[in-house]
Amino acid sequence: MSRLSFILRRLIRAFVTILFAVTVTFLLLRLMPGDPALAIASPNMTDEARALLLTQYGLDKPLFVQFGLYLGQVFQGNFGTSFTQSRPVLDVLLQRLPWTLLLTFTALTLTVIVGIPLGVLAASRRGKLLDKIVQVIGVTGQSLFVPSIGVLLLYVFGLMLGWFPIGGAYSTGTYGLDWYASVATHLVLPAVSLMLIQLGSYVLTMRATLIDALEEDYVTLAKANGLPKRRILWKHAMRNALLPTTTLIGLQLGFLVGGAVLTETVFAYPGIGRGIYEAVTQLDFPVLQGAFLLLAITVVVANMVTDIIYGFLDPRVKTS
Amino acid sequence: MTSAVDPAAPSAEPVASENERAGVATWRAFRSEPLGPISAGILLGLVFVALAAPLLAPYPASYGSDVLKAPSLQYPFGTDSLGRDLLGEIIWGTQQSLLVAVAASVIAIAIGTVMAVIGAFFRRVDSFISIIVDLTLSLPVLPLMILVAALAGPSTATIIAVIAAFSWPEVTRLVRSQALTVVDLPYVDAARLMTTSSAWIIGRHIIPAVTPVIIVSVVVTASRAVLAAAGLAFLGLGDPTTWSWGRILYEAQQSGAMSSAWWLTLFPSIAILLLVLSATLLSIAYNDASNPRNRSR
Amino acid sequence: MRKKNLLAAGALSVVLALGGCAPSAPESPGNAGGSFDDTLTVATTTDVVNYNPLIGNSRSDYWITNLMYPHLLSIADNGKKIAGLATDWGYTDETTGFYEIRDDFTWSDGTPLTAEDVAWTMNAVKNDAPSGTFYGQMANFESAEAVSETRVEIKLSQSDSTVIEELGFWGNVVPKHVFEKAETVADFPNDGKDGGWVSAGPYLLTEVQAGQSYTMERVDNYPLVDGEKPIAAKVIYRVFPDVNTEILALQSGEVDVIANALPPAQVDNLRNTEGVEVAEVVGLGYAHMTYNMSKPDLAKLEVRQALAHAVDYETIRSVVLQGQAVSTGSSPLMPVLSDYYEDSLKEYEFDTELSRKLMKDAGYTEDSNGNFPVSFRLIYSLQDSVTSQWATLVQDSAAEAGITIELQGTERNTYLAMTQEGDYDIYAGSFAIMDDPVTNFALSYLPGGVINYTYVDDPELNALIEKGMVTSDTPEKIKIMQEAAKIVHEQVYDNIMYTQNLYFAHSAEWEGFVTQPSELLSIVNPLSIASAYKVK
Repeated sequence: MSRLSFILRRLIRAFVTILFAVTVTFLLLRLMPGDPALAIASPNMTDEARALLLTQYGLDKPLFVQFGLYLGQVFQGNFGTSFTQSRPVLDVLLQRLPWTLLLTFTALTLTVIVGIPLGVLAASRRGKLLDKIVQVIGVTGQSLFVPSIGVLLLYVFGLMLGWFPIGGAYSTGTYGLDWYASVATHLVLPAVSLMLIQLGSYVLTMRATLIDALEEDYVTLAKANGLPKRRILWKHAMRNALLPTTTLIGLQLGFLVGGAVLTETVFAYPGIGRGIYEAVTQLDFPVLQGAFLLLAITVVVANMVTDIIYGFLDPRVKTS
Repeated sequence: MTSAVDPAAPSAEPVASENERAGVATWRAFRSEPLGPISAGILLGLVFVALAAPLLAPYPASYGSDVLKAPSLQYPFGTDSLGRDLLGEIIWGTQQSLLVAVAASVIAIAIGTVMAVIGAFFRRVDSFISIIVDLTLSLPVLPLMILVAALAGPSTATIIAVIAAFSWPEVTRLVRSQALTVVDLPYVDAARLMTTSSAWIIGRHIIPAVTPVIIVSVVVTASRAVLAAAGLAFLGLGDPTTWSWGRILYEAQQSGAMSSAWWLTLFPSIAILLLVLSATLLSIAYNDASNPRNRSR
Repeated sequence: MRKKNLLAAGALSVVLALGGCAPSAPESPGNAGGSFDDTLTVATTTDVVNYNPLIGNSRSDYWITNLMYPHLLSIADNGKKIAGLATDWGYTDETTGFYEIRDDFTWSDGTPLTAEDVAWTMNAVKNDAPSGTFYGQMANFESAEAVSETRVEIKLSQSDSTVIEELGFWGNVVPKHVFEKAETVADFPNDGKDGGWVSAGPYLLTEVQAGQSYTMERVDNYPLVDGEKPIAAKVIYRVFPDVNTEILALQSGEVDVIANALPPAQVDNLRNTEGVEVAEVVGLGYAHMTYNMSKPDLAKLEVRQALAHAVDYETIRSVVLQGQAVSTGSSPLMPVLSDYYEDSLKEYEFDTELSRKLMKDAGYTEDSNGNFPVSFRLIYSLQDSVTSQWATLVQDSAAEAGITIELQGTERNTYLAMTQEGDYDIYAGSFAIMDDPVTNFALSYLPGGVINYTYVDDPELNALIEKGMVTSDTPEKIKIMQEAAKIVHEQVYDNIMYTQNLYFAHSAEWEGFVTQPSELLSIVNPLSIASAYKVK
């Protein structure tokens, strides 16, 4: 029963967060200086189409009514019509969403796979040179500017060495197994770029929680009992350190998605991030709003899932 | 963008900085580890460059005759696609990048600290504030910044406002956890007995106690602001009338020079890296130094 | 560890979900044998917005639909119209024009392409008024009729010596039997949902991965190319939003052609790159600034002249355009239009002292800083990187003359909207093709003309232009237009800054491209793509 209520709470929380995102988007448009109509109706539209759209959004009605209308539309999946493509925003974005998900998920996986050993290394040799090196690597990683890394990787590994293709999600004209292979090779460089900037904070958190875990009483007890150091590390400390880092993954998603905007632009990767870039250059506001909302929903859902998983994994979490 | 992690923060105990000996000890610990002073040095160097820009290089002209030249004796950092000296652009760009970073982080920290302290002290407001903070933190911030910047139009004020608006929740979270610990300490209870003026208690006890966290926050938020500003400028949302590191990258990208003129990408990126790296290392060093647990080693 | 298992499960589900996005293999195998087997990959920076050539939006739209829907007329390097689908064209009397078309074109579904398609297309555009250049050319067009399988007669509402050539060049011919299903062609998306597309060649769009690639397959019968069969079996357009990535992709061999014009500063670099060749294409348009004469300051001739003399044209051409631009003598009759061009008109000299004198003559006094009490707002599109670059140079040199210019660069749609409303003092922009002087003068300088950005209404100029519109004798027409150009030049109704020659990069492994003027055609025009072959 407690498990159920736990899941329920998380669901409610996710829902509230999404509602918050919708509200923020709504308020942004209505409260920004200037004509809110600019953000809804394209200057290219005919006057009738424009007038129709504006009544739909009820710009002349009180704020509350507008908000209600807006909420209704969002929940029906109507995120507006793209200025440049004259198609529903949701259609435009849903086409791109799978690629962003693939990219961020892969980057996240890589971060975990590379980050855990590094974090362990640093924590187990705390204070020594290796630890300092890992710390500096971690901090440097956080300070990198995404497009620079992307261009660098493209140039070195794509052009000079020719190991990886340049741009796109896959090569046209590949089918079946070839297609999967093509997707994989096109994924490597963008995912590695994203990983490099996430790695820093992941490693540092891993290191910090591991250090704390190593100082816990039960570890001292285990040491006193004569258990070998490595066993203590892996069996006790690690398992407990992994839990906070699971939550960290959820939190990281928000930033990862932001990094994806810049990465997808450089690598011509057809995800939502690139959609955002193209929408920015053309001031296609409906797409920008829709992209933010869609990304927010994705991040919230992912957070909720990791929270629930955390709840199942951590025996200490029972009711709340 | 990444979430800068402060490894020591969760377990640091509040240091009552009225204690003189603690302050001196912090300074001594700080000085002993090389990383801290070096970072501080780099940071000060960058500040100097920003302030002394007019003395160091002429303001970039609107064009030059040597287009896209690689670094040489005449142009140590090379030239860009309009023949302008990259070194000059970077020196003058330091002003804008630092200005945006400092302004945005100061505003964010001001708002964030106020929210945190109020929340910690007046419990009724606390849950509301912490909900807002949590909600904002769960959202992908860069797309939101892009949306707002696109709506408002590119200008320095917009960039500062946008970054500040979405950076304060992180500050609140950090400061709030510290403030909460302090509010429960016995000496605050004692203070409550002595006076009913909340402002006095906040000003005299709580603010000093959270000051170390605030200092750390300044640096961390500022460095994140640099990355956010560069990212926005790279997308074309930066101020086109002033020179900034992000603008250099934007123009390189627009003119198709990024693929061949490696210096146009390298030097601004290094500048960004230096600023962010030194700021973050500084905050870590300060934290390590001010944490008494770390000193006994 | 359980966590790793969870991760693996997650990965698997993502992969399976992706499987839904995987394309399925086509049914027919590729062509066998010979050099007719190759695939040409073209890179473009903009995504396709719509497939209806009568509306048209982005460059990629134009390039791709051009490979499916023919034009009656094509264009030579000096702007003269040459045969395309039409073999003969002209006027039978003052208000009737005609086209004679080839009889060997068929649509890819077997239906023959006849005069009926041509007539139907034109009538549909006139009636449904889709927004675009095609409709914009139809001011004096009344109706079209197919009087035989190969002859179309055009009724005009009044005498117009340019409309037949302009319509023939700018308009595409679409298949009546496909487009008539739509209620109005102004709305018809032509997105191939109804059993694919129908093309007259040389290529047919077969597969679309939105935002990524557009695959086109050869249409075997294309009469306009040597041997009547396009060489490359497939043409794939790939979208790269970033020109840097495009260039890297070309260098690595992932794409064979970059369809958009190279940024001037990259031309030399790519010329010297191994494996890459750069083709030069004649520019048929020009870049210019116009001064909004509805504003009182700019209504004064001296002020316009002052502004014109405060621009360093040479430097702009040498630095921003890397010497790839040519002066037109500040005249709208560019050197490339060899029939019309005469060099008696000279470019406005860059002389800030002269500018100051002119301003003083106009009654303005300098203040203590040497600045005049005027400020002009110059608008330009941020997406136009070349204009964005010289706009700052213009601002700086005007400042030397004591004239303040305020730059307002905006994104393209806002820029277009502001242009339409006349919301500017100075307009800076460029036209890709200004092929026919009479048409262009009419649109640019007649009151109410669609691109009359200077808001001029000069009776003498109007009379000349209107005369040119009804004169069919070419030498006579040329004389008239040259006189008109003189007036434009003297009165500074238009400050033509340069014609830019364009450069396009392609892999050295491909040859046989046929260059045509302007970025809309360049080396990706239908004839060129159909004639290109891989060298090996």
